[in-house]
Amino acid sequence: MADDTGDKEKQGAVGTPHGQPTPEAPGYFEGESMTRRRVFTVAAQGVGGLAGMAIALPAIGFAVAPIFSREDETWEGVGPVADFDAATYKPVVFTIVEDIGEAGKTLAYVRKGDEKLEEDPGEYIAISTRCAHLGCPVRYVEAAGNFICPCHGGVYDFQGKVIGGPPVRPLDRFQTRVTNGKVELGPRYSVTSQLEPVRTRDPGEFTGGIWEYLYPPRPSTPPAP
Amino acid sequence: MNSRDKEQYLQEYEVLKKKGKPFFPYAVMKDSVMMLVVAIVIVVMALVLGAEQGPKADPTTTTYVPRPEWYFFFLFEVLRVIKPPELVPIATIGIPTIAMMLLLLLPFYDRNPERAPQRRPIATTAGCLTIVAMAYLTYLGASAGAPDKIEMEVAAEYEEGKQFVAQSGCLACHKIGENGNDGPGPELTEIAQQIPRAAIYRSLQIGPGIMPSYADARPNEINAAADFLATLD
Amino acid sequence: MKFPDQLIPAPLRKPAKPGQNGHGNGSAPANLKDSPPERQADSQKLLDKAKEAPIDVAGWVDQRTGATSFVTGMLYRKVPKGTNWFYTLGSATLFAFAMQALTGVFLSMYYTPSPVEAYGSITHLTNDVFLGEFVRGTHKWGASVMTILIFLHMGRVFFFGAYKYPRELNWVIGVVLLILTLVMGFTGYLLPFDQRSFWATVVGVNINGTGPVVGPYLSDFLRAGAEFGPSTLSRFYAIHMLLVPGLMIALIGAHMYLVVKLGTTAPPWVRGAKPKPSRTVERVNAGANGRNGHNGASANGHSRVNGGNGRRVGKDDESQRE
Repeated sequence: MADDTGDKEKQGAVGTPHGQPTPEAPGYFEGESMTRRRVFTVAAQGVGGLAGMAIALPAIGFAVAPIFSREDETWEGVGPVADFDAATYKPVVFTIVEDIGEAGKTLAYVRKGDEKLEEDPGEYIAISTRCAHLGCPVRYVEAAGNFICPCHGGVYDFQGKVIGGPPVRPLDRFQTRVTNGKVELGPRYSVTSQLEPVRTRDPGEFTGGIWEYLYPPRPSTPPAP
Repeated sequence: MNSRDKEQYLQEYEVLKKKGKPFFPYAVMKDSVMMLVVAIVIVVMALVLGAEQGPKADPTTTTYVPRPEWYFFFLFEVLRVIKPPELVPIATIGIPTIAMMLLLLLPFYDRNPERAPQRRPIATTAGCLTIVAMAYLTYLGASAGAPDKIEMEVAAEYEEGKQFVAQSGCLACHKIGENGNDGPGPELTEIAQQIPRAAIYRSLQIGPGIMPSYADARPNEINAAADFLATLD
Repeated sequence: MKFPDQLIPAPLRKPAKPGQNGHGNGSAPANLKDSPPERQADSQKLLDKAKEAPIDVAGWVDQRTGATSFVTGMLYRKVPKGTNWFYTLGSATLFAFAMQALTGVFLSMYYTPSPVEAYGSITHLTNDVFLGEFVRGTHKWGASVMTILIFLHMGRVFFFGAYKYPRELNWVIGVVLLILTLVMGFTGYLLPFDQRSFWATVVGVNINGTGPVVGPYLSDFLRAGAEFGPSTLSRFYAIHMLLVPGLMIALIGAHMYLVVKLGTTAPPWVRGAKPKPSRTVERVNAGANGRNGHNGASANGHSRVNGGNGRRVGKDDESQRE
């Protein structure tokens, strides 16, 4: 009988299910707060969490990394200075993403700066064919002097500003420079409705003012000129 | 649905289940027949319609007209008709997200314990309207013509004018027949009824308002265009 | 339908009651001297054993897995009265998914997910491989058929009110499956890498980018960069082949588990016998009035032949007999 009561005491001696120490436990002293059960619970969760992180974090990092990596800037020559004039656009094809063959090429419309439009005649303007609404390829229509998008009816004027349809900002441009008498095209940049350059944005994203914060620039894009 | 309705439903369900038939072979037979029908339909479509490859992907194109797969046509049509730029994010993100939320949370805001369609008028009407709207938008998206063609039969002498009008971006702002956009310019399908040819020619010359001027085009081109537009009545 | 004895493993069979002829293990013929048991030819014994072999195999598996009760529970469960052809849309969608998975596996044996080589691999598959164009066509049209079927299935569930208690979770899983199906269509569409694929994908990814704050990062994530680059196609391929099918298979499993556990609904125009409170009240009143003394004790809602109102009870009987 005495043994039974001793057993019962021992059964209750491990503490409550939550790991709170009880006075019957051997070695109990006033103010004790840690039990073996608690130690093991926390350790199991901690070590298990570490093991889970060891698998999950690299995987997530791998998937998310492209958001933070930026390609080096490349400049490509598209023709001698004499090829381009201020009155009309000339389409040129150049490579915007290396190593994927034809899928990395894009088209740009290039012209000389026009004094009548308050542009520097020594600067060249290269307009991207990516519509600022959702990215369809726009076409320059010479007779009308504007760019038309086939998808949802966006229309841009000679400088690329929106004159009709749903596009949210003017057409993107490419940085230009002249090296050894050849015009070279560089990274892409976007413009506000006043044609101020900003870092490149995806189609459909407003630019300028508060929109710079609602559609923040991404680390994967090159800085604006 | 309070707990009394729930209990009542469960009791009724038990009764109906007891009176039912075993899943195998009765329901399995119907399922198998339907599976066979589905298999036959897919195979016949594959054999008859085939799988042609289009031209290779070319990011440098300026003439291609992108279109999505048919089951996204309703979304494409919504994007096409929402013209003001401020409303674009609503059409691209707002409407689909709201639709998804409505669909996902349906059992939580539809508290009516009734199930028969005739006893749930709101749900039935909303469902039918949604189906009709989606079907109509899909049809509109499918029949949206390319923006650089005018699908209209014209006499041979107006063909040149028609091609010039089609290729010069007029359809970006004007609707001509089935093609083109509803704005910002007025519809030209019956323009000859409204203004004389001389007025059409002048519009092309000066480009009233935000319309660009076509004065730089060759004279025979503008004349051909005006001739063609003057036949639209 | 009684579960045939032969399919139950031997140790679980109920022993034959004494006096049953024929099937029991231990029944002996009444007169052993006059009608001795016939001896079977050896070939006959083998034939009998061969016929029992599949049953023995099933028994072997069942003793080690306990699978028989699961399979018989699933196969022989009752579906409610009134189940009609509309209910086949769900399994038709599952079948279309299985066809897509199967044809997709075969297509992936020939496809190269590189922007330079994708188009060429599809040309090779279509023109040079035996039945290549057919498998490609099946996969392409199967996608459209599956989209149609999943919308029809969802419409059926909606109009039958089958998403209400207790099946709300099943509906939520189903809507997630619908969204995943559309994602499969979107990602798979890029893989042939022709003009239509490329531009539809460009526009689709840009649509994602229009969401405020998060949008630009989301489209960067999908495209693996600011422009359509070398990793974009392989990213879409991994999503289409591994990520979304894995999620779909898990969710389809959960969806089907709930369907088997909760049961399919009956069509809403089929009503069972609902216990009407007014009838109970009437019977209580009749019993309290003491028209039939011994009925007072049983006036608690059970249907009886001699009830308070003969007409209504008669209807009750009819519905029980159906």
